[in-house]
Amino acid sequence: MRSKTLKTIFQLLLMLTIVLLTVQCAGTPTPAPPTQPPAATQPPQAATQPPTAATAPPATQAPAATAEKPYAGVELTLASMTDQYVTAFRYLIPIFEEQTGVKITMDELGYVDLYQKLTADFVGHTANYDLMTVDIVWSGEYAKNKYTLPLDDFMERDKAELGLDDILPVAWTLGEWEGKHWAYPLAGYANVLNYRKDVLAEHNIQPPKTTKELLDVAKALTDATNNFYGIALLGAKGPAVAQDFMAWAQQHGSTMLDENGKIKVNTPENVAVLEFMGELIKYAPPGTTDYWWDQRETAFRSGSVAMMEGWSIARAGYEDPKISNVVGKVDITVAPVAEGMEPRYGFGGWGIGINADSDPKKQEAAWLFIKWLSTPEIQKEWIRHDGAPIRRSTLEDPELVAEYPWFPILLESFIKGDGDYRPRIPEYSILQDALGSYVNAYLVGEMGAQAALDAAQKQIEENIR
Amino acid sequence: MKTPMIARPRLSLGGELSYLGMLAPLLIFVAAIAVYPLLFSFGISLFKYRLTDPNQTKTFIGLANYLRAFSDPVVITSLKATILFVVGTVTTEIVLGLGLAMLLVAETRLMQIIRSFLLIPMALPSLVVGLVWKSLYNADFGIIPYYLKLLGISAGHGPLGEISTAMPAVILVDVWQWTPLLMVIFLAGLKSLPIEPYEAARVDGASRWQSFVFITLPLLKPTFLIALLLRTMQSFKVFDIIYATTAGGPGTATSVLNYHIYTVGMVFFDMGYAASLANILLAVVAVLSILYVMVLERQQA
Amino acid sequence: MIMKQKAYEKILLNGLVILVILFFMIPIYWLITTSFKFGREAFVIPPKWVFFEFTLDNYIEAIEVAKVGRFVANSLIISTGATTLSLLLGIPAGYAFARSKSRLLNSSSFFFLLLLMVPPVAMLIPFYLIMRNLSLLGTYWAVILLDTAFDASFVVWMMRSYFVDVPREMEEAALVDGATHFDAFFKVALPLSIPGIIASALYCFIFSWNDFLFALMLTSPKTKTIPLGILASFSAVEIGWGRMAAMSMFAIIPAVIIALFLNRYFVQGLTFGATKG
Repeated sequence: MRSKTLKTIFQLLLMLTIVLLTVQCAGTPTPAPPTQPPAATQPPQAATQPPTAATAPPATQAPAATAEKPYAGVELTLASMTDQYVTAFRYLIPIFEEQTGVKITMDELGYVDLYQKLTADFVGHTANYDLMTVDIVWSGEYAKNKYTLPLDDFMERDKAELGLDDILPVAWTLGEWEGKHWAYPLAGYANVLNYRKDVLAEHNIQPPKTTKELLDVAKALTDATNNFYGIALLGAKGPAVAQDFMAWAQQHGSTMLDENGKIKVNTPENVAVLEFMGELIKYAPPGTTDYWWDQRETAFRSGSVAMMEGWSIARAGYEDPKISNVVGKVDITVAPVAEGMEPRYGFGGWGIGINADSDPKKQEAAWLFIKWLSTPEIQKEWIRHDGAPIRRSTLEDPELVAEYPWFPILLESFIKGDGDYRPRIPEYSILQDALGSYVNAYLVGEMGAQAALDAAQKQIEENIR
Repeated sequence: MKTPMIARPRLSLGGELSYLGMLAPLLIFVAAIAVYPLLFSFGISLFKYRLTDPNQTKTFIGLANYLRAFSDPVVITSLKATILFVVGTVTTEIVLGLGLAMLLVAETRLMQIIRSFLLIPMALPSLVVGLVWKSLYNADFGIIPYYLKLLGISAGHGPLGEISTAMPAVILVDVWQWTPLLMVIFLAGLKSLPIEPYEAARVDGASRWQSFVFITLPLLKPTFLIALLLRTMQSFKVFDIIYATTAGGPGTATSVLNYHIYTVGMVFFDMGYAASLANILLAVVAVLSILYVMVLERQQA
Repeated sequence: MIMKQKAYEKILLNGLVILVILFFMIPIYWLITTSFKFGREAFVIPPKWVFFEFTLDNYIEAIEVAKVGRFVANSLIISTGATTLSLLLGIPAGYAFARSKSRLLNSSSFFFLLLLMVPPVAMLIPFYLIMRNLSLLGTYWAVILLDTAFDASFVVWMMRSYFVDVPREMEEAALVDGATHFDAFFKVALPLSIPGIIASALYCFIFSWNDFLFALMLTSPKTKTIPLGILASFSAVEIGWGRMAAMSMFAIIPAVIIALFLNRYFVQGLTFGATKG
């Protein structure tokens, strides 16, 4: 009796196979309807031309405080990375809602989830998010796939009130690609070297200017028995370690692209950079190979690390006694470079984009928010609630400079800033994914430097094909 | 237990039709929500189909995705990692589960309370379990490296940060969550054992160890089989714990196939390739499942 | 099995029991205490197990800033929806399998067991595409339907073995009295199988409640479930243990209730009824 049941199961399976085969033979037309027309062709122009003029011309001139609220009742969803600036959004959004009647729901997401959720939203054309924070490195990908709305028409229309000249040139890399703007500058970060001035002074050491000095200082300050380490790095598998690697590469004058702009990671120069990281990590806390940004920051603020390269936006947090043990003990300087090189000023940060699939009215309201956010007055509040600057006037504002004495260094870094050291090409995510796996694999000792970068290169080529 | 398969004298057409009526909603549902997607998945796997392509074009490429899978080094390493994970979790859990069952078998009130507390882990969301253990393993602030250090054991980059310890560390998380299930299964098995063989053994002067090896283990064989197959199949599904703890790292040490498929399909939206990988996994699991069904059948008969 | 134990054996065994309890309970204890700790106390080495500064800050943040309420609500909607649908579809089917004399029907019940074992990722990839084509992505329905595919298969299997054990004499008597097969099911068999229904319902509920992968891909910001909410505790700013722990406390409530108070049903569910008998 048992065998009969078995027989039936196998019959069922057989049937299944036959069905599968027929589906295959029936051939190419799969059950799903053909894909929808690409999002790109839909709204951009429609959104920009007459409708606003028709609805309410004054709206664009005086978004704040007037009785006129043309977008009252529009509901927007903002996807925000849980970076420092998320607290500024939490503070500012209710004010904007009050002034305009637009309702904004914020969805806070970690870096990996944000990228994944946004891509899913774009490729699914679900328009779950109307506004999104866009990492500088996603510019090319978003532009190529037309995920976000090009903002150029809006910018042209409203240029009188935008104060575009005041926005630092490098900040445009937060979303500009091949001449169009796919995200508006939101938060500019400079890659700087944070160091504990008390510790360095105690050992009579000057802040390192070259990467070689950095390595020596890290070595000299490491005291593992007392749980004190020279430097904190990003080491965890994933985007974090990839971005750290690219930063070190920039500081050594190497790049991820060949002369034709094709990805080429396994060059001798990059192998040397990777080996440099391998040296440096010996003077990093034991948890480093598991560090994302949060853990690296926590390590530095807990006071167990002497130096850390990182984004300037975190700087203010070191002076916050609620979360920091190193209040008043930190200073920043330009990130060190290889001997004989001119200083490099790595630039990163976030733009804010509008979903190309959102309906035009929402896009207008979203643009209203972006515009409002970028006004100099609001920028001051943005900064004070852990946002990051995009305007020269913000960085030169005497009040703010008094509160944030490191602003002049930031301004210098921004003026000389290079937003392209991580290539903002459409294939960036593939590059980052491969580096994220194999740089980590090298750091934990799974493979050698050359082998790791060869493997990364192979994976990239495989995935781009 | 009786089997429902025994042919019964009366087979009324009306009855069978009513039964079919009761089944119909489910059959339709499952055909639409489960069977159709699986067929659809097979169809998709024959195409180059990337949602991130601007036009989301589908190009028929036959079995190229499958060929790519078998030459993809990441697939090979993740297959290895998957097998290591499955073997590691299942064997550890079976051994510990049996041990726990023997230890806590007594029907006292205290033991009952302890046993019900031990059920908590398997009712928890695996994601939470993973996040908690990731915190416990944290090399700088986690309690596990701290106490290891007190014991004079260097934790290096932390249990999750070292190639050599990452997989065991992840396996331990799964063991923590699922050993109680094995305990429950073995408890049921132990309670169903007959008493007579033990009495006979005692009369013959057998030690407790001897009666465990020569009576208990052989009598528990069916329970072992059930436990083995049930856990093997569940273990193949692991995703949440990996997502929460290591994201497949360090290096590729814990990059199980599920996680790789997720990355290909749901991060890079390379749907054709992801579907082909998913189908390979499905085939492996299907073989195991059929084995399981056969064993279950034999037991019920 | 019960034999005289020597004194040292007893101590050894008790010691083992204590070790087991510690191993299984410490992570949960850590989670609970961390949810009541300030950030800086959570990172103290050596860890503070008992005497730490108590705070409700993490909970206040979870409720007010992270708005854990809406995640819980979404989780409840999806879990309840999937459970209800699964029971509605699965119970009659389980009964039919148990009572039918047709061999084809009987052996096709194993198909549902096989379905239960399909790796979730394998189902998710095509299901995502189908939901996308139907514009159902991000709705509650997307998650409920996919959860139900697994849950209902489980219910069928579970309830089939339950109904097999329900004596059929009463049903047959009812049939002789002129009741239809549907009456026999609703009025006679169903009331006798309440424990099986509870076991099935608990399993379905906890499966959907704990699900992460499906929700990750199929929900929108408005329909996000609690595990996804927990993930957002992690930022680039600092290690978010406190908030993660506080959010997790909301996520583990059903688990604790079920394990401590409804365990006898729960166990049957988890083991597919493989342990009974």
